Amino acid sequence: MTTSVQKTSWRTNPTLIRYALAFQSSKGMAALALVFAITSVALLAPVLFPQGYDFQTRNALVGPSWQHPFGTDEIGRDLMVRAIYGLRTDLGLIFTAVPLSMAIGTILGLLGIISRRLGDWVQRGLDVIAGFPGLILGICIVIVVGTGWLALFIAITIAGLPSFGRLARATLLTQMNREYVIAAMTLGVSKWKIMIRHILPQAAETIIAQGAVFVVAAVFIEAALSIVGLGLQPPEPSLGTLLNIGMLYVTLTPMYVIGPTVILIILALAFSLLADALNEAVNQR
Amino acid sequence: MNAILEVKNLTTVFGPRAAPIKAVSNVSFEVSPGRVLGLVGESGSGKSVTARSVMRLLSARGRVTEGSVMFEGQDILELSEKDMLNKRGKDIAMVFQDPQSTLNPVVRVGTQIMEALEVHGVSKAEARERAKELLDQVGIPEPETALDRYPHQFSGGMRQRVVIAIALAHKPKLLIADEPTTALDVTIQAQILQLLADLRHQLGIAVIMITHDMGVVAELCDDLVVMYAGRVVERGTVEEVFRAPRHAYTAALFSAMPSVDGNEDILRAIPGNPPVATNLPSGCAFRDRCSFADDRCKNVIPELFQLSDTHSAACARADEHERDLSPPIPAQVASNSNEASGKEDTPILEVRNLHTDVNASAKGLFRKHNPIYAVDDISFKVFPGQTLGLVGESGCGKSTLSRTIVGINQVTSGSIIVDGRDVTAMSDEDRKHIAKTLQYVFQDPSGSLNPRRTIGQSLQEALEIVGLHGDAALRRSHELADQVGLSRTHLARFPYELSGGQKQRVGIARALSVNPKVLICDEPVSALDVSIQAQIINLLAQLRDELNLGFLFIAHDLSVVRHISDQLAVMYLGRFVETGAAHQIYNAPNHPYTKSLLSAIPTADIDVDPTQRIVLTGDMPSLANPPSGCRFRTRCPMGPVYANGRQSCVDLDPKLIDAGDARLSACHHWKDVTKAMTTEALK
Repeated sequence: MTTSVQKTSWRTNPTLIRYALAFQSSKGMAALALVFAITSVALLAPVLFPQGYDFQTRNALVGPSWQHPFGTDEIGRDLMVRAIYGLRTDLGLIFTAVPLSMAIGTILGLLGIISRRLGDWVQRGLDVIAGFPGLILGICIVIVVGTGWLALFIAITIAGLPSFGRLARATLLTQMNREYVIAAMTLGVSKWKIMIRHILPQAAETIIAQGAVFVVAAVFIEAALSIVGLGLQPPEPSLGTLLNIGMLYVTLTPMYVIGPTVILIILALAFSLLADALNEAVNQR
Repeated sequence: MNAILEVKNLTTVFGPRAAPIKAVSNVSFEVSPGRVLGLVGESGSGKSVTARSVMRLLSARGRVTEGSVMFEGQDILELSEKDMLNKRGKDIAMVFQDPQSTLNPVVRVGTQIMEALEVHGVSKAEARERAKELLDQVGIPEPETALDRYPHQFSGGMRQRVVIAIALAHKPKLLIADEPTTALDVTIQAQILQLLADLRHQLGIAVIMITHDMGVVAELCDDLVVMYAGRVVERGTVEEVFRAPRHAYTAALFSAMPSVDGNEDILRAIPGNPPVATNLPSGCAFRDRCSFADDRCKNVIPELFQLSDTHSAACARADEHERDLSPPIPAQVASNSNEASGKEDTPILEVRNLHTDVNASAKGLFRKHNPIYAVDDISFKVFPGQTLGLVGESGCGKSTLSRTIVGINQVTSGSIIVDGRDVTAMSDEDRKHIAKTLQYVFQDPSGSLNPRRTIGQSLQEALEIVGLHGDAALRRSHELADQVGLSRTHLARFPYELSGGQKQRVGIARALSVNPKVLICDEPVSALDVSIQAQIINLLAQLRDELNLGFLFIAHDLSVVRHISDQLAVMYLGRFVETGAAHQIYNAPNHPYTKSLLSAIPTADIDVDPTQRIVLTGDMPSLANPPSGCRFRTRCPMGPVYANGRQSCVDLDPKLIDAGDARLSACHHWKDVTKAMTTEALK
């Protein structure tokens, strides 16, 4: 019967379907393949390179070769292995801190639906965070939780809040003036439902796109804190620490810097493509 | 005839070469100096694409594949881009629809006019002189100071004058005006039309006037080209086409137009929707909607049939001269509610002495609060099964009024009573009561539907409010779709897959889903094509009668309201200036503003002499600083500006006073309106 057909179309969520459709485009597939490849290489690192990131060879600071595609570092460790283990650390941060920052930022930005004044105050709070130099913020966090992964995690989460919060608020303000939101209000739909149905999907779009951009920023925050010794402690590698130490030897072995940079670029590309594909699918007209 | 522009067999396509979509097919017409050609059609009929093809301003995906555009004997399509740059703005100029977006908001008006002059090699000092002249020519007062103002310091009508001044900068030989008055109020539209008519006579330029409004054509144009689905369906002088339209579409368009003097309760709507260029029916594109279509129309695309030297029509029946091609009058849907239900005594919606301060949010600790009353002492009643038409120009406060009633704007004082309950306080309980009793139909059918949600989801949202979920909601949404004339398959679609008229039907269905007793229709048809307007007005009237709904029907145009209203209220600067039974007001208005509004509407009747029209001068004053005494006195054709001895208009604020027959008028001199407001008396 026709009703059964219509019933399925009634129950399934077209918004989610549209997000899913993003991966049918070539861009979406490429993005997904890249993210998948990067993630699996990172996850499989202990299997692929069982000696671990700390394994030393006799040759320090040699250029690229078949054996060591990125060359070796100042104490003879394979740089590609270190970069891939570093990627592991960074992906770990990206997949936890960035979504958390997006979620908290969105919630803070959308708090303005309760009252305009509350929204304004929240923004002023976010302004304060944005006004703090990242390093000082990092130091404050380290004072509270000590150095290491947790400090990085918290620092990245907090650093993202102002941009996500502001985007969410901007969407909220424009959407509240949209006629379909006013239409929902005159129907007597609750604020909470208006938020979930009309405002959040709209906000999600810009925030997801911004999230992909922030992934790259997150790696640099990690690097900045690591160099002053507030992030990960050596010998644990991360893309940021590699880049920072690499700067010292850039004249001797340029690959020290180029290697991690290439990985960083692939990482950024993968997430930008992903954001783009999602955006196109959701915004198609 | 010495045509300055001759378009021959113009065909413009869009999209990929492999599967091009024809937006304009085989269009031919010509324009002569000193004459105005009306290019008429609904949205998507290809009229703007035709104009852009002539200007060679098509977007990257469009291209002209056939035909020629001869301008002064030279084919424009063959010119190099550099030569074309020289023609554009200099020989051929264009005026666009929305003056708001045509002018750059951060550049002074004078600089923008001078820029147009300087690109074609006029020196700076000369340009300034010329700019002043131009502003004077288009009727902008104090051109010297106006040059240094920014666009936002002008009203919409004044901005459009500036745009016209820019277009006229180089004394073009051809002016293409793309719906130049559509975004303006009727009284301002009348001013701009008068300006264009004057300029045409003074400068002797050829004008192509793109419009959807047959009234504008009747008023301004000499020749007429009617387009439908990218083709010319009828062509001729305005006289010929208006006297005897020979294409069924043209004829249908005439009868679908709401008019101020029409007496029919039901408009003769054209059924169906305009076809989309990607999916044209075979044969005559109009056949699906035509009441005379037969087998001939199915197979062959009709050629233009020459009826006289100037008149031709592309209809299989064009040669059947005697035949009246207007669609048949629809059967009366329901008996008129007024007689059927009798006049009910309890109003379903009542507003008493309502004030709304739109500046209320600007209250500050150190600022002196200046209240701006967009709604200033308004009282009215809406009865079940009846329509109160509310008419006024943009900025008069009609939308603020409706938004105050549903609780979007805050009430400053006065009271609102919905179905026997005083909801002025707008507590949560009050809001719930309002949501179930009173619903809103929005102006912009696209804006009022979330583009990410299917039609079904939008309806579902409304149905949840009345506690319908799952299958019950689905069944009810099917019912609603049937009720507003949508197909059930539309429920699974997204708004962008629907036409404007269909979207408005969804808007109505959503409003009906909570079984309301009152509908507030905020300009529900002003964003729609003429043929669709009639459908929606008829649908609303039918629903009102079937469901015994009370309507508050808001419009800026008296002709639209005429067909649906029982009672009428005319609003100016936050106040009602006249109220009463609709037909009485139309026959004999008791306020000079009503009279002017009625007179400003261009009628699709060539026997009406446009010079007999009352054209209000100036713009509506600001609400923040209304004139003393009568608020209309600064523009009133019979007021102190034009007539001596009207000091009372300046000194005394007129209240709504009884003018007999349950009518009210806020004019000290309402008894004189009929006598004083004739064109002879005003001269």
